[in-house]
Amino acid sequence: MSETVTPESDVAPLRKRFLDNPRPALLWLAGALALLVLELGRILGWVKALGTGVKFAVMTTAALPKWVGGNVESAVADTGVLPGRLEPVGELLGSGVVTVLVFGFVVSVFLSLSERRVTRLLRPNMPSYRRLTVERALLTGILTVVSALMVLTPIGGLVESMIGFLTAVLDNISNQAPTLTSREIIPNQGYRSPDGSGWEGTFLGLSPGQSWGVRVAVVYAYAFGWLVWLWRGYNVFREQYRAADWTPRDDTLDRFSGHLWGLFGLVVVFSFVVLALWAPAISTVPLEERSNEPYRFEHQFLDDEDIEGNPLTDGSGDLETVRHGQANLYSVSKGKGQNVGLFSYDDFDRFSPLGTTPSGGDMMTQLAHGARTSLIIALTGLGLATLIALVMALLTAYYKGLVDLLTVVTSDTIVSIPLFLLVMMLSVIFSGSDHPLVTPLDGGLLLAMVFAFAFWPGLWRAIRGPTLQIAEEDWIDAAKSYGQTPSKIMRKHMAPYVVSYTMIYASLLVGSTIIVTAALSFLGLGISEPTPEWGRLISSGQDYITTDSWHVSTVSGIMIVFVVTGFNALGDGIRDAIDPESDIGDGDAAAAGGGG
Amino acid sequence: MTADRVRDRPDREDPILQVRNLRTVFYTDRETIRAADGVSADIYPGETLGVVGESGSGKSVTARSIMRLIDSPGQILAGSSIRYRQTETVREYADSFSGHTAELSDVAHEVDKSAAFDQIDRTPQHFGHERPEDVPVADLVGGGYGPELGLCDEGDFVFVTDGEATRPGQIQRGFVEITALEGEAERLMRGGRIAMIFQDPLSSLNPVFTIGNQIKESLNLHRDMRGSEATREAADLLEAVGIPDSRRRLKEYPHQFSGGMRQRAVIAMALACDPDVLICDEPTTALDVTIEAQILDLFTQLQAERDLAILFITHDMGVIANVADRVNVMYAGEMVERADVDQLFEHPRHPYTQGLLESIPGAQSGDSLSTIEGTVPTPNEPPTSCRFADRCPKAFEACREVHPVSVPANEQNDDHTAACLLYPENMSEQEAAMMHDQRNPPREESDTS
Repeated sequence: MSETVTPESDVAPLRKRFLDNPRPALLWLAGALALLVLELGRILGWVKALGTGVKFAVMTTAALPKWVGGNVESAVADTGVLPGRLEPVGELLGSGVVTVLVFGFVVSVFLSLSERRVTRLLRPNMPSYRRLTVERALLTGILTVVSALMVLTPIGGLVESMIGFLTAVLDNISNQAPTLTSREIIPNQGYRSPDGSGWEGTFLGLSPGQSWGVRVAVVYAYAFGWLVWLWRGYNVFREQYRAADWTPRDDTLDRFSGHLWGLFGLVVVFSFVVLALWAPAISTVPLEERSNEPYRFEHQFLDDEDIEGNPLTDGSGDLETVRHGQANLYSVSKGKGQNVGLFSYDDFDRFSPLGTTPSGGDMMTQLAHGARTSLIIALTGLGLATLIALVMALLTAYYKGLVDLLTVVTSDTIVSIPLFLLVMMLSVIFSGSDHPLVTPLDGGLLLAMVFAFAFWPGLWRAIRGPTLQIAEEDWIDAAKSYGQTPSKIMRKHMAPYVVSYTMIYASLLVGSTIIVTAALSFLGLGISEPTPEWGRLISSGQDYITTDSWHVSTVSGIMIVFVVTGFNALGDGIRDAIDPESDIGDGDAAAAGGGG
Repeated sequence: MTADRVRDRPDREDPILQVRNLRTVFYTDRETIRAADGVSADIYPGETLGVVGESGSGKSVTARSIMRLIDSPGQILAGSSIRYRQTETVREYADSFSGHTAELSDVAHEVDKSAAFDQIDRTPQHFGHERPEDVPVADLVGGGYGPELGLCDEGDFVFVTDGEATRPGQIQRGFVEITALEGEAERLMRGGRIAMIFQDPLSSLNPVFTIGNQIKESLNLHRDMRGSEATREAADLLEAVGIPDSRRRLKEYPHQFSGGMRQRAVIAMALACDPDVLICDEPTTALDVTIEAQILDLFTQLQAERDLAILFITHDMGVIANVADRVNVMYAGEMVERADVDQLFEHPRHPYTQGLLESIPGAQSGDSLSTIEGTVPTPNEPPTSCRFADRCPKAFEACREVHPVSVPANEQNDDHTAACLLYPENMSEQEAAMMHDQRNPPREESDTS
């Protein structure tokens, strides 16, 4: 590493270091780009799904003013204060006020998080303590005017059609873009050829089972390839471009790479995430075709068995077409006589690596998509809970006093609410309706919000101690003494120390979330049909555990155990890796010197 | 420090920071701790006021009360007044916070003070005076009794004593009441006008950010500087406090600095906001002696360059002798002696000060060190006797019954006061005891304001 002593600084900035030695970085970038291009279509699909989620959140917030306005109008109509003709005014006022409030809130949050000073351009001589209020008012006003224009004039329609156009373009690109693991490139739905020369329509003429295996292997190879490549990229950065020879992060990673239990957890969790992300590729037959709308899609197979199921020997099989729904009726796993077990084909030459469900669907498909459900619910619910717990911990540690007292009382109250009863009650209230809260994931979003509500007190309690400790540090007092704002102090001087604790505690809760979701679905309360969920799989197979169809419940149960153990192991590994006094891999030193 | 006292110059008569009857109490479950019990002090611009006392005497709490860094369960009680009297600041605040400004010039003459004291549950003795007429209106208003007496509105903190509140540019005199500040005004005062330097430089700096980052944070807040301008200013500040190669140092972390350099960096951070008053809470206690001498020289130099008023808190008499112009001696939450530094060292009046000076190792002779027996008591009750009586070699009976107030203790020098029943010297013990007793507020069951 070159160290030129300049009047400015001792060590060259990153850009200069990169330009001095571009080759390793460029090589790595080329590799990353190649990996990206291989699965571009699928990645763009993920981007689109993320966009849909964001759009949902924005639409819900946008619906708020109208809802309030409607309520105001009906309330005003009930009291009869205004004459009939003026009632719409009440609605307009209600929705207008709420719109302005919502915008004001969004603008305040945005401004407090960003360092921009918009009005600096307008009146640079304004003292800074007035500037914030003026900025807020200005931005809120601009947003209100813009939204009024969008709603009341045709401009809104124009913007909507533009967004629709952009989305269509994105769709088009993602359909055209290459996807290595797509069913076009590695198909596994084929049929035996009538002339007995193997399989047609599958990858390289392999059997459906083998081609499915190939595709799954490619998926995992690709995913682990990314993992390896990212690790390599970190090493390239560390050796070639990083200014510091050593940072504490190096020690953490070294400790983690020697922690066997943590590595096991990492592998399991990563495999689970890959299962969820690549669920359409890992399913034998797409979920929509086999389970969601089975009577719309057809399947071709060679019918070369007679009524009793004995193979015809004279080579006179015909190519038949049957709908998946009909085929499912014959492929159920309900015990003796009716069973499609592990790694077997059903009567229609459809491969089921883990057998079929009692309603005829494919277990692998259900498990993969159920993994998606669990992951989304866990991430959303816990993400929200972590955010709330972190914000509350910072606020209570900074202000202490009344804020702390109120939060303690609130958290104790929430902790004493029985989670299952709450979910039951909400399920009953929302059952059979198509309220926007219940439709995503068939109750999954509602469940995520319930988790956020129920788990944040425990998380807050866990990080309250360290946060209070940080709040007592001298540099917080010093920051207060030169007049730093409370929000900046909490973000810059307190949060970095608390975030690591929060991550560890949150990772331990992921396992709980998955188990509770499964348990609720098992009872029929959490996620309803048709979204797949592991708990519901277990409950559907519980009558057949002692029969030939034991695979339905047992395999699902084992998967849950595996995944939760993996998350706990990962949490353990991270915790031990972050702690500088843990004695991983230093067995001799620990024995000799007593560790630490 | 020199014969020509800074304060004697004609334009320097007004103290820039006035503390009157500061009472900071910590209400915990087990006990009530009256960390600062009726502390009064004046700091003049360009001058260094030294506050000296043992651990537990309340020096740090006084400093933190001035900076409003007291968290629950601590409170600054009503009746305490901390006044910031710089005219430019008053003008600026009257302009920006005109809704919180009140004029005292005319109401001051009209208020009927004896009636006023009937309304509030305080007596003139609480404010350190014998008769209602002697109590300055500023004390009443600063103590938070303004709204009750109709002198101002709730939430006012800028008071104009000479001038009009509606024409901020013409204000001649006024003060900002620090105990009444809230929110934005409080944040502006901190750092921008009064800056504080803490004892341990390693923990006053956030370990995960570079020194440059933290100085620029200050510059960003108070002087609205950004980017390369801020970097240049930060480098200049480091040079001003005597750190060479400042540009490189800006990119380093606190743990890469040595102790003395860290303290210099902290001083640079405090100066970044361009304050007028600097409060130093034992800044050299954690440093070794040679570095200490350099830092003290730095303070003197900075004070001369930037015309700072410094409140210097320490327990080391040698440092006081070096750096202070005036000295206040604190014991168990009260100021027991106030004097110019020369006077204090040559003619200490209060027995506690005498004991302190005698126990300096360099001044000893004989086989065993002379010390003051006992430890500083924790004041839980309002003072009803002299808190030093148990350890005082000159204590007599009245000392345990009468609480001494500050009285002049030196005929040649008006400014030298001591809170001891031995003074004024020309009175007999009984007379003095009675006089001190009269100037004390009447005993109450509990002090709950």
